[in-house]
Amino acid sequence: MSDTARNRNTWTHGTPRRAVLGGAAAAAAGFALAGCGSDGDGGDEPKDRKKGEKITLTFWSWVPGIDKPVALWNSKNPEVRVKVEKVSAVDGAQYAKMHAAIKAGNPPDLGQIEYPVVPSFLIDNGLLDLTKYGVADHKDKFIGWQWQQSVFGKAVYAVPQASGPMGLFIRQDLFEKWGIEPPATWDEYEAAATAIRKKGAWIETFSATNGNRFAGLAWQAGARWFGTEGDTWTVSIDDEPTRKVADYWYGLVRRKLIKTIPDRQNAWYKDVQTGDMASWLGASWGDALLVGNAPKTAGKWRVVPMPQWKKGDAAYANWGGSTTAVFAKSKYPKDALAFAIWLNTDPESIKLLIENGYGTPGAKQGYTTSQLDVHKDFFGGQEYSKVFDEASKGVDTSWKWGPATDTLYQRLGDAFTAAIGDGSDFRSVLKKVQSQTITDLKEKGLQVKAG
Amino acid sequence: MRGAPRRLTRTEARSARAASGFLLPFLALFLLCFIAPIGYALYESLLKVERTGPLGLGGETKQVWAGLSNYAHALEDDRFTAGFGRVLLFGAVQIPVMIAFATGLALLLDAASARWVGFFRTAFFLPYGVPGVIASILWGFLYVPGISPLVEMAHSAGWDVDFLGRGAVLWSIANIVTWQFTGYNMLVLIAQLKAVPGELYEAARIDGASAWQVARHIKLPLIRPALVLTTVFSLIGTLQLFAEPKVLKPLSNSIDSGYTPNLAAYNEAFTSNNQHIAAAEAVLLALVACVLSFGFLRLVGQRGKDGESG
Repeated sequence: MSDTARNRNTWTHGTPRRAVLGGAAAAAAGFALAGCGSDGDGGDEPKDRKKGEKITLTFWSWVPGIDKPVALWNSKNPEVRVKVEKVSAVDGAQYAKMHAAIKAGNPPDLGQIEYPVVPSFLIDNGLLDLTKYGVADHKDKFIGWQWQQSVFGKAVYAVPQASGPMGLFIRQDLFEKWGIEPPATWDEYEAAATAIRKKGAWIETFSATNGNRFAGLAWQAGARWFGTEGDTWTVSIDDEPTRKVADYWYGLVRRKLIKTIPDRQNAWYKDVQTGDMASWLGASWGDALLVGNAPKTAGKWRVVPMPQWKKGDAAYANWGGSTTAVFAKSKYPKDALAFAIWLNTDPESIKLLIENGYGTPGAKQGYTTSQLDVHKDFFGGQEYSKVFDEASKGVDTSWKWGPATDTLYQRLGDAFTAAIGDGSDFRSVLKKVQSQTITDLKEKGLQVKAG
Repeated sequence: MRGAPRRLTRTEARSARAASGFLLPFLALFLLCFIAPIGYALYESLLKVERTGPLGLGGETKQVWAGLSNYAHALEDDRFTAGFGRVLLFGAVQIPVMIAFATGLALLLDAASARWVGFFRTAFFLPYGVPGVIASILWGFLYVPGISPLVEMAHSAGWDVDFLGRGAVLWSIANIVTWQFTGYNMLVLIAQLKAVPGELYEAARIDGASAWQVARHIKLPLIRPALVLTTVFSLIGTLQLFAEPKVLKPLSNSIDSGYTPNLAAYNEAFTSNNQHIAAAEAVLLALVACVLSFGFLRLVGQRGKDGESG
């Protein structure tokens, strides 16, 4: 019960208190406030680490190579050891595990949580409001819109790690051989799909179950699926921009210009390796994925900007990207926050993270764009991170996620699966998911209406 | 035994005490491991969450009485109800096929000469030792186009198969389940066959019955209880179908999150994080399993009696 009391305090007192007191003092005040609610045993209450006391923080993450920066931290901070526990990122398994751990009362101290999923942890009171521990002092170190993804009301719930601005990976050699120009608009993309199909290959796949990418496509077209009006959530999945996107992909699927197998699964990797699929609309972190899974295609890939709806536009979108969040039950939130900040801002840590392909850093400094070209040779010497960097600047930063995104993805996946199966159009998908999402949010005890 | 209650004699009282001594540990475990979780699920299924605070975030969450609204929600959700239709169709096809295979193998092994029987019995039973998840991963590799030698062979023969396609995937799952459990059911049937007294066969042989006639008129009627048992187990297993669709889901665009009722309840609990609705779905699933298995037992029980009197 005491952690709900703590969260309530956050809403009413958190920010003014921080404004009055400095970072460390505010943290101490936070402890004092939290202490009020406890009945003395203090077992689950956050503690201030005594000087010289050695503690171990657990960190659930699936980012490849995350153990390297963590090892660096451990060598520099013998008193605050961080233990990485790898969790599976297949099919949302990591979040199922985290939700279950919260419910069971034994979550880790820190967790890797993607931007879209942050709100669904908030309605479970799963994450700690970090303003009490002075997180706001670090705001300027991060890219504004990424920071904003974890801000709800006046509370800040997570530290940005990385984002995934989208771009189009293409097999330059195949496009050249077939005399096809890399598409700059969606019309050209469709034309390229037709031309590639005539050569017996496919442009790529529309994976029914990849809600993340579909959200990115809608995001680019100007959709805003979630919003707030006072205390009410608004849901607008069935809006004009999203319908435009749905109609477009339905057209490709109906005319069999695109595959419909799931992406990033064995069959998909196989197609990527053999060149049966000549492109992939992916995100900046996708470079490592291609390098790791299709090593024999080295040198043949290039990255071009995501196709535009109108020639000359520069609207892009984001796919994935994640935060380092501190769970509400963490006993040493101050140390956990310190680690989260260090992990995502320290130049050496960022360098290690980049080397292992974690996406586009959420930190403003500590790296140069060229550092992101870790796999330059694989992309024929192209400075491909510039493409993603440009895309990052063209992301509509007012996009917000709602409190049940994992359910939403599942709803989209189910509805697309059914629509592809029985041939019904994708507008029906939007209509269905719109009403389901409203029901889902109501079911969670939230106020909600159609936007 | 009607009439006034009879006093227990001393020996009876002692043996009752002894019986309770044996029963109590069982009852304690039964209560703790069986009744308590069911009670907890029932209790959870009657609650719902109310949230306060701006936008429902960061405020207090309260569990409040929900009556039967979680059940109503579950029954209105076509993701959940469609799953039931699917597993029932699955059971109607897969169970008879599997039981027929198991019976056939059991009869063959029972009739065969002793030499290789042990080997084949083990070989057929072996898949049961493979956990469901592993079996699904294994078969998953054999289903995925581009990797599977089966698909490749079919393609080179000009046959365009898609094991993971919309129409086929249910039967691909049925194949995994059949592969896994035929040997197990066969073993239960063989055990019952071994219990058939040898004189019956002797008498049949003296009467000049062929092997087929022995199987048809002696063995099959006598292993009826084992057939009923294996069918009921399979019925319950079918309703609980989970690991196979869960493992194949990422590989196939044809398995949705409510493919089986169990999967729907799992997703409700762990993806959507609505434990209360998940509890209601689990209770409903248990109810249906109960009704179907007892219904089946009643049905075959009735027929059995008719057969005896006729």
